[in-house]
Amino acid sequence: MLRAILLNRYTITFGLIAILAVVWNIYVHFNDDGIITGQVIGPGRRPVPGATVILSEKTLLVSAPRDETRTDAAGRFRFSGHRLFRFYLEASKEGVGRMPPKEFRLYFKGQNLRLDQALQLKEGK
Amino acid sequence: MHKYPHWPIHVVLSFISALMLIPFVWVLKTSLTGENIFSFPPSILPEDPHLFYYVDVWYTIPFFRYLVNSVVVSAIVVAANIVFNAMAGFALTREFFGKKAIIMLFLSCMMIPFQVTIIPAYLITKQLGLLNSFLGMALPVCSTIVCIFVFKASFDAIPKSLIDAARIDGLPDWKIIFRIMLPLSQSAIATNVILAFIWSWNNFLWPLVIIRDQAMQTLPLGLSRFLTVVEDTTGALYAFCIMVLLPGLIIFLLAQKQFIAGLTKGAAKG
Repeated sequence: MLRAILLNRYTITFGLIAILAVVWNIYVHFNDDGIITGQVIGPGRRPVPGATVILSEKTLLVSAPRDETRTDAAGRFRFSGHRLFRFYLEASKEGVGRMPPKEFRLYFKGQNLRLDQALQLKEGK
Repeated sequence: MHKYPHWPIHVVLSFISALMLIPFVWVLKTSLTGENIFSFPPSILPEDPHLFYYVDVWYTIPFFRYLVNSVVVSAIVVAANIVFNAMAGFALTREFFGKKAIIMLFLSCMMIPFQVTIIPAYLITKQLGLLNSFLGMALPVCSTIVCIFVFKASFDAIPKSLIDAARIDGLPDWKIIFRIMLPLSQSAIATNVILAFIWSWNNFLWPLVIIRDQAMQTLPLGLSRFLTVVEDTTGALYAFCIMVLLPGLIIFLLAQKQFIAGLTKGAAKG
């Protein structure tokens, strides 16, 4: 009787869904510190220290600046504690160049993200 | 008897099935790519698919709240349909004065659209103090005539001797229904579950009329609200549609065998 209930296709399907939900929530719990890290490089692909990086929230309707930081000596930047799932990053440094806002999307709010590609400043206006 | 090969008809049926699946595949593809449905030339397979539109839907509106509301209302409707329809179906298998008139009344009531009775239904629900509540949302679909006849057809197929034996053993009518008739009518139960679930899950007009609190809204109302909040979100809109469709689809796929058996039971009787 118990075996028939446990091996029922309804139990298996909804059980699998429940297990997936639990696993997903555990993953989210350990990866939602809201940390975004990356690097800013200049036209010669060299790290740019002291560049300003702006984090803007992007909703379906509007975008608004949420945080701002500066890169360290190695051109690295770090934001923490954000609760965003869709945002823009833009970077600039006087005399070096600027990178226009670039959109990033996450699978859950506050997902930790390490940018694989550096933000590249380009000379221009 | 000459036997014809089956494969030509299978090929034709597969082709027709594939054609009927195209709209669904299209919706799924758009939800994964955000590609405009009018883009030309159309592509069958999604290019660069991702799940971000589903994330947009999840966070743009209180999707989980709507999902819970829909699940609660559907659970009430499904449970009520099985209990009330089984009782009504059992009553219609018995002989009593005016049975034919009641069956005719039921059949004629099926021709009255819900929109016609929505004002009396609203006033009754208000008198009961059930406006803006789960029970109020479930009330008009707690028993449906089609499902009563599904149970009746299924109960008619059960030998009368079985009921007589139960009665001799001293079982009251309600125990005969729930201990003997229902366990022997699994296909009718599956049909009831699927139909009641789908009707409740897709119900838009009735919740729209009686729900005033945003937190009590169900998924179809959420979809309507989503459309008013955002305008140009093809991908997110279609992702929402998939998220609304999915639970019903899962239930149907799980119970399709019993569902079809329940609908056809009694069809060849007599």
